[in-house]
Amino acid sequence: MAVWLPNPDPDAVNIIDHVTYFRLSRAAHHYGADPDTIWWSVLVELEGISIDQFQTSVTAFADDLLIPAAYDAVDRSAVRPAQPVAIYARAPLVRHINDSRNALRVTSVLLGASAPERFLDRAAQSRDLPDVIVNDDAVVQAVIDDGIGIAHELFRSSATTTRIHHARIFEAEPLPGNLTSVGRGLDRADIDAFLQDCTFGDMLDEDLFYALSGQVDYGQGVFSTVAMRRSHGTHVMALAAGRSMDEQADTHPIICAALPSRIVNDTTGLEMVPVLYLAFHILVKQARRFRTQSGAPVPVVFNFSYGNTGGPHDGTGIFARLFDHYFGESADTRQKAWLTLPAGNANLERLHAVAEPRTEVDHTATLDLTVLPDDRTPTHVQIWLPNSPENAQPNFATISVRTPFGMDEGIIVTQPGQHAALVNKAGEQIAWLAYQYVGGQTQRGLVTLSTNPTANLRETSDLGPAGRWMIKLTRDPNVSTDPIHIWVRRDETLPGQTSGGRQAFFDNADYHRFDRYGAPLPIDPPDTTSPVRRSGTLSGFACGPAPIVVAAYTEQEAEMSVYSAAGPLVPSPHSPQPAREGPDIAAKGDDSFVLRGVISAGSRSGSWVRLAGTSVASPQVARLAGNAIHGKDDNARAWSREAAKRHRFDLRDDPSPNRVGAGAIRLPGDVARD
Amino acid sequence: MGIGPESAYSAYSAYSAYSAYSAYSAYSAYSAYSAYGASSGTNPMLTEALITNRDGIVGTRIDRIADVLPGVPDSPRNLPRLALPVRAAIFQAELGPSVDLTVDTHDNLPVATLWRRTSEREGRKRKVTFHEMVEMTGPTTEQLTTQLKHVAGYARIRPDRAAEITTQVGVPTAFFASIGFMDPARTPHTLELLYTALNFSSLLIQRTKYALAVKRPIEFSPQVQPMIETPTHGSLPSGHATEAFLIARLLWKLLIESEAPQYGDRAYWGSMLMRQAARVATNRTVAGVHFPIDSVAGAMLGLTLADHMHAMCNGGAWTSAIFDAPKFDPDHDFDWHQLYTPEGDEMKPKASSDRGAWAITKRHDRHDTDETAPALSWLWTKALGEWRDLQECDG
Repeated sequence: MAVWLPNPDPDAVNIIDHVTYFRLSRAAHHYGADPDTIWWSVLVELEGISIDQFQTSVTAFADDLLIPAAYDAVDRSAVRPAQPVAIYARAPLVRHINDSRNALRVTSVLLGASAPERFLDRAAQSRDLPDVIVNDDAVVQAVIDDGIGIAHELFRSSATTTRIHHARIFEAEPLPGNLTSVGRGLDRADIDAFLQDCTFGDMLDEDLFYALSGQVDYGQGVFSTVAMRRSHGTHVMALAAGRSMDEQADTHPIICAALPSRIVNDTTGLEMVPVLYLAFHILVKQARRFRTQSGAPVPVVFNFSYGNTGGPHDGTGIFARLFDHYFGESADTRQKAWLTLPAGNANLERLHAVAEPRTEVDHTATLDLTVLPDDRTPTHVQIWLPNSPENAQPNFATISVRTPFGMDEGIIVTQPGQHAALVNKAGEQIAWLAYQYVGGQTQRGLVTLSTNPTANLRETSDLGPAGRWMIKLTRDPNVSTDPIHIWVRRDETLPGQTSGGRQAFFDNADYHRFDRYGAPLPIDPPDTTSPVRRSGTLSGFACGPAPIVVAAYTEQEAEMSVYSAAGPLVPSPHSPQPAREGPDIAAKGDDSFVLRGVISAGSRSGSWVRLAGTSVASPQVARLAGNAIHGKDDNARAWSREAAKRHRFDLRDDPSPNRVGAGAIRLPGDVARD
Repeated sequence: MGIGPESAYSAYSAYSAYSAYSAYSAYSAYSAYSAYGASSGTNPMLTEALITNRDGIVGTRIDRIADVLPGVPDSPRNLPRLALPVRAAIFQAELGPSVDLTVDTHDNLPVATLWRRTSEREGRKRKVTFHEMVEMTGPTTEQLTTQLKHVAGYARIRPDRAAEITTQVGVPTAFFASIGFMDPARTPHTLELLYTALNFSSLLIQRTKYALAVKRPIEFSPQVQPMIETPTHGSLPSGHATEAFLIARLLWKLLIESEAPQYGDRAYWGSMLMRQAARVATNRTVAGVHFPIDSVAGAMLGLTLADHMHAMCNGGAWTSAIFDAPKFDPDHDFDWHQLYTPEGDEMKPKASSDRGAWAITKRHDRHDTDETAPALSWLWTKALGEWRDLQECDG
């Protein structure tokens, strides 16, 4: 029988990020003999030092560090109060950075996905990017996604010329010449050359193209969903930027980054933020190349059709601040940039819960967490506490975690250094519960629960128990009655992926899933006392003040799509009023209840497929925004409110603003310039 | 019993030429001819009825029989009056002796050589000449082990291709008919021509596989776990690749020769047929029953046999080909463009890797002494007529 050990590690107080610590400690399960040779993407937040200074401070680990060449000399010498930087590092360095005793002036560490070494080029050098001259009315459409069919006809201006000026393929071997640190960077000329090489007679052999572009190499195990009929990135990018070949190529340039598969084959957990950051950095550099004939910068609209659960949900998360970092008031640019993001699809997923007086009995909120059997990836839970300053972190609550079948209960209080380890009969750790403080702008305590996979094909005894875990939060009402938000991170397996994750979820009996007719309830019953909530499910990425956040509706029934995530958000330490109530606007996510999704490009030219979700609503708004951004002084969200009036589509279910924002819009087939 | 195309899977009866192909028999086009049960045994009740019926009406024997002209010997003019299985047998009797196969070894690897036999006929005299048409050297085990990585990689798209793979286990007529407009009512002779080619090729495919004895992916790793049953015959050349490229090129030749303006010089028809053939071939790797190099060999064989078939029907050029598998870079995937160009309907003279030339082809123009088989010429002409545009005076 497994037992919880309270505070077994006296050094745990020095761990900056416990999920990073846990995942590195479990990497041996996946990577076998020598997990220390594995490269990881890592987002580090530097405080008051430059990248160069950071590099100097970890010289002893020079062989374990790769600072991407996308950071040029200016980036590397810049000193800012807080600066998130995406690096690649191996475990010895990550452990060093994640130990606060080393005083590296790193305030946060976020372990991303592992990256095969052959996709990295440690000798890559940053290079000057020449200007790209385009028409005066041009708008750059920037897309970050995965599985982007860059050869698709909708992104071309002729049979053998593309509108894509740069495509970064993260999962591909770098081209010779030390051009890119990570993956393959394809400029317009590279793509055109591949198009020419793969066009025979009048026909493009797209299978051959993706072999040459490095996106698909069956023999070397390089895979992208562009090999399949339906790929997320192709669908999304076509909605945002697909055009017929005869439209002005120099008015509609595209830049894009294809990230690693949305759920990589990594059994330690999932974190996209470091590569998202790097992709954004790369595309910002690319976007700044564009100039009009008169030398003016060209507006750019970004779309990331990504979402996540977790994060502080108050606009201070490391991703929420990304846009501000590059285009906010402190950024030195005249370039106008808008960003569209999906609201997320987590509304009915039962991944979010709130402990607040209404959901507590005797100041205790109780959550049933179902961890499924045959789950080959860990389950991660985040518990975000109310704000507190770093130098006075009160003990808001006592948190207990009971393992399935009443095996044992691990208990910690929300104080620095508090942690507990679940240990099996063989003495191996199979779960980790810990408190950490998240500084910077967030200023909150965070408790994380990480459990081992419940299945492994190899003979192993250190599996986590599957079944109903029980999490209890007992608050001290004298300290605060502010809500405490609990999130389960995503770990499911999507079609075409092989991670073997199965999604854990909250399974409280007092959560009402259906209405009296058996239909899913899209909003929480008004009198519910269940801590498991639909409200506040907005994607953790979509909580910042700058982006246009897009929800999804179902057109034929004229209702919000049931999955479309909702606000409200959590007050931040800087403002009692969050920057947003929820999404800004809603666009079509589904044609009808039975015709789910919307039709857009399939992976191959001439094919059309359906895809549903706020992921496909967002790029439709990006397209509309691209027609509007020129010459308007509005900010993006002000424009979206105006657009909601101009293109109004009335919904019958009269959704609240924290689900629909300023309203739903219906877009004509090809949006007219407004 | 004869043997049918590999893709028909089941043994193929010369007397039920079309029933083996569900795509064809689905239309029940020929069931009307089975009223007398000619090919599937007699109907006892009908026999009884015919006996009693004759007894009832036959009457006194007629003494004076009118003139009867003799039959027309060895003439295609008989062919339209013959049942399909009978014609199939005649076509195979022409095609079968047109080739021979020998097997030897080179550097410890098996080499199968398909010979093209031409005969000069003068009365009862024969002068037989053999030319090397296809020389195929088997791959090394190391190559196949490397190729196994492709098989593993392709397994990831199995769910995407499952419907295609399972419907292409048999002859993928429907897939080619979705490009070239075929239907038993519209193009009966084209279908007959294609199945004649498949029937002929299946013997050669099986004989070549038997000669080279290349193991299937399933024998290299327990993790291949194909999504369909692995056929018991050898892996290289891929029968599906051979047949698909044979069908594709024969159809393309018909389209070209039809001189219909929409087909005439439009290579996109040929390209689309080849893309279809490549898709069928690659789907077998996705399924886990073939290495990509099997498709390379099969495509080469099928493309070469198409020229041979065409020459047997019409005269004209034929092609010889050498496939030297050990020179193929096993890290490479199958790419049909290295073998063939639809524009001009030409096989590429050479394809090479760092290891040397793995494919060499040569076009041989018609020799004066070459003879066509009149029965096959009839079939080609009838098939070609199905692709020509109708002229106003036709009606």
